[in-house]
Amino acid sequence: MKRSLAILAAALSVFTVTAIAHHGWNGNEGEQLELTGVVESPVSLAGPHATMKIRVGEQVWDITLAPPARTERAGLKEATLPVGARVTISGHRNSDPKRFEVKTERVTYNGKLYDVYPDRE
Amino acid sequence: MSAWATWLIWIEGSALGNAIRHAGVWAYGVINLVHIVGIATVFGSVLILDLRLLGWRREVTLETIASIVAPLAATGFVVAALSGVCLLSVNGGEYIGNPFLPIKFAAIALALLNALLLSRLSAWRAKHDGDAAARLQLAIGGGMSLLCWFIAICAGRMIGYW
Repeated sequence: MKRSLAILAAALSVFTVTAIAHHGWNGNEGEQLELTGVVESPVSLAGPHATMKIRVGEQVWDITLAPPARTERAGLKEATLPVGARVTISGHRNSDPKRFEVKTERVTYNGKLYDVYPDRE
Repeated sequence: MSAWATWLIWIEGSALGNAIRHAGVWAYGVINLVHIVGIATVFGSVLILDLRLLGWRREVTLETIASIVAPLAATGFVVAALSGVCLLSVNGGEYIGNPFLPIKFAAIALALLNALLLSRLSAWRAKHDGDAAARLQLAIGGGMSLLCWFIAICAGRMIGYW
């Protein structure tokens, strides 16, 4: 019985480590990145995370937002940011330098702040 | 482009993917939940059978265990497979280049092949452990099954972290 419990505890600890990895931002740069650009493809509230694309100069960036329900609660809906709108995003860049993707905490448009991760600095 | 990448793009462009993407902010989460319930049913049930095949609790007959596990595992697999296709259809193209998805599919294919081979063993068909050689065959089948499903779960969980 004791041995079974030890095995169970070991198995659970494996899943706990996984859970921490999921909620961490390990795949992203630690420093805050702020980008200002125009909306290339509007907010999509589909999939594991809401997404959008913005263009900064010649580069199109993939903007990964919070999960769809959370993004919507922050006021960011699919029609909130029209294509071509000038927006500023703040978040953490993917640690792979070949990928132009930012896991984004805040979006500012027209003087209004959409804070999809208000509990993050 | 590889056939794999073509298929991922095709499924993202399918009517199914389009319908789910427009099914509200909770759609993905709910389908993900169904997927997990399917996986839990498959793994929970095969775990019991596989441990029995490895020699645990031989006093319970194979016939009894198989009659409980087989329908549960099959139902769980159908639930997990259908919901899994739905999840892929939402953003299939994003998984191009993700190594964990093909590892997961290969592990599932091996697990199914293993189940097919196991079901053809005479000891399995007789639902009786038999002699030492037959027991060894059953144990190998059970061990392979556990290993394949475990790899499938690990690789599946890691897809999102790539």
